[in-house]
Amino acid sequence: MSYPTTLTRKPTWITRLPPYLYSLLFTAVTVAALVLARPYLTAPVAALLLLIPVSLSAAAWGLGPSILAGLLAFIALNYFFISPLYTLTVHQAQDLLALLVFLGVAALISQLVGRMRDSLALAEQREHESRRLYEMSGQLGQRKDEGQILQYLADYTQETTLADQVETLVTQSSNGKPLLVSTPPIRPHPIDAQPDLVISLLGTQYLLGEMRLWRERKSFSETEMRLLQTYASLAAVTLERARLAQESTRAQILEESDRLKSALLSSVSHELRTPLATIKAAITSLSSGTVPWESDARSELVAVIDEEADQLNRLVGNLLNMSRIEAGALQLQRQWTAISDCLAAALRRSQTASRDHPIQIDLPDDLPLAWVDDVLIEQVFSNLISNSGKYSPPGTPIEIHAASQGGGLVVTVINRGPHVAEPDLGRIFEKFQRLTAADRVTGTGLGLSICKGIVEAHGGTIWAENLPDGFAFHFTLSTSPLSEQPVEISG
Amino acid sequence: MTRQMHILVIDDEPQILRALRTILTAKGFRISTASRGEEGLALAAVEEPDLIILDLSLPDIDGFQVCRELRQWTRTPIIVLSVRESERDKVTALDLGADDYLTKPFGIEELLARIRVAMRHAGGAAHASASSVIQAGPFRIDITAHQVMRGDEEIKLTATEYNLLVYLASNAGRVLTHRAILEQVWGPADIDHVEYLRVYIRQLRQKIEKDPNQPRYLVNEPGIGYRFIPEG
Repeated sequence: MSYPTTLTRKPTWITRLPPYLYSLLFTAVTVAALVLARPYLTAPVAALLLLIPVSLSAAAWGLGPSILAGLLAFIALNYFFISPLYTLTVHQAQDLLALLVFLGVAALISQLVGRMRDSLALAEQREHESRRLYEMSGQLGQRKDEGQILQYLADYTQETTLADQVETLVTQSSNGKPLLVSTPPIRPHPIDAQPDLVISLLGTQYLLGEMRLWRERKSFSETEMRLLQTYASLAAVTLERARLAQESTRAQILEESDRLKSALLSSVSHELRTPLATIKAAITSLSSGTVPWESDARSELVAVIDEEADQLNRLVGNLLNMSRIEAGALQLQRQWTAISDCLAAALRRSQTASRDHPIQIDLPDDLPLAWVDDVLIEQVFSNLISNSGKYSPPGTPIEIHAASQGGGLVVTVINRGPHVAEPDLGRIFEKFQRLTAADRVTGTGLGLSICKGIVEAHGGTIWAENLPDGFAFHFTLSTSPLSEQPVEISG
Repeated sequence: MTRQMHILVIDDEPQILRALRTILTAKGFRISTASRGEEGLALAAVEEPDLIILDLSLPDIDGFQVCRELRQWTRTPIIVLSVRESERDKVTALDLGADDYLTKPFGIEELLARIRVAMRHAGGAAHASASSVIQAGPFRIDITAHQVMRGDEEIKLTATEYNLLVYLASNAGRVLTHRAILEQVWGPADIDHVEYLRVYIRQLRQKIEKDPNQPRYLVNEPGIGYRFIPEG
């Protein structure tokens, strides 16, 4: 037996007619056969045989057709087999009794078989409903997003009820706003038409929203109502579960960001206090008069104060940039930029690194201009050079190369610093990662993640690589904005 | 110094005012201070200082407005103070007529150098603008002969390179915005073509710098413009 995809509709008189016709035909054929075989039959045998169409009609087409068959069989029995033949009159009392018994038996069979058949149909219907619900709960369970859940509920309800339109609505979704989903997406009915049926989406604690149906045939059967209620409560439970899951994810994110914040705070307070402590010590010693006016100690202390103040300034700049990158508030002011300009400005700023390390620059004369924010790219150079200076032994060179490649530039900064384990190469660009020699190196652990943020905001990539005799950073930059190209001009 | 130079400092940070007053007074300047924009404008009108140091973030009216109003009636040099993260603000202030800028925190030597350059240009504008020879560091530019010399050696420049160098060198020590340079050397129609400037700066550096990748004379100020440093 195949299951209908829709709930059984109330049959109209047209759809009801064929079973009566079949029953009528079946009975007529049986009567004809019996009339032909009359010479070999007695009336009681004919009566028994005439119960066949009655019981089979009941089994096949239900109560109504079987009663029709019973009445026909009763008339045929009287007409063809009870004397006087070919009349509907009965002379003998026992014949009348036999006819009445026949009618009673026929009616009883119709009743019993019909009821059995109806309960079978009901059982099948129930099984069908529970299958649908099972399927629905399975499908809903796979959906985590409120919109998807509402969409599935609307689609499924529309499909099963053949409604013209189904809307599902939660009054307050996880972002606090109402969320409405409709199948089909465009209203076929006038905007202000009242829905033909509204079913609440009732959660365990409060009303989540509702489901609205519009259907040309306005009335909904009891079965449909029952199913729709079940759909609605299933969907409500799923919605609640999705919400709880989201809240716990959010809680996890918050926890993670709290963890980052406290890492930042501890790192920052340490990094802020170190230069402050140095400055305070140097200043108090200078002002207390313990250091002679004209001495090496005095100029050393002054140099320390100067350097530490610069360090503080860099730190604050990095924190600011980081928070801008994190907030997505980095606004690129792109213009045609010579990489050599950014690099030169960065070198002027990273004087500690360039004092301790010879800087070797190899930029081809015909290097194309880059379409970048020069202030930010200078920051990238500055951070990479400062990082290289911190991690490589003093006196070893820092090399900077650039080459045009495809539609852009690849810039490389090489130092003689220690290797980073291969699996950690990507992680050095994460915040607060210090994978080597942490005790020796000062800094917030923000420099490289700022580089990553800036390069990626430009649509480029940044990566690190262990070299046989050192360590390299590479990053790519675009040399082609959407339409314009730098103009090649000569004076 | 025949007359004591008078500097007006407009900044809302009391500690900055206190430090600048102390340091600049010790350096022989006469100092007035204002902690609000309106007050600064009034003082500028009454006291007619020789130079104004102006912080861009003020509590009442912003530094741009102060700059704009000052430029309506005076050519007194203005040095703008600002924090590092606001390059566009500095460009705006420079385009509004400020003479130079300084990023907080700054060294006092840097401030004194900016003051000297601004004073010199203010004096230069009044007196010797018609000079036919510009001496900038080791370079000697003869305007009438269209000739650039480093010591006894002549540097051959194209017309555009020459115009660029003349403009930068005659403003030696002072920052010039991309826009100002483009307007002066290429004309008002080309003020957005930074790429011209980049290309010519590179060509010029190859002719006058020892190491074009680490320039000493033609210095880039990211996001702002270029500065010619005669001392190299």
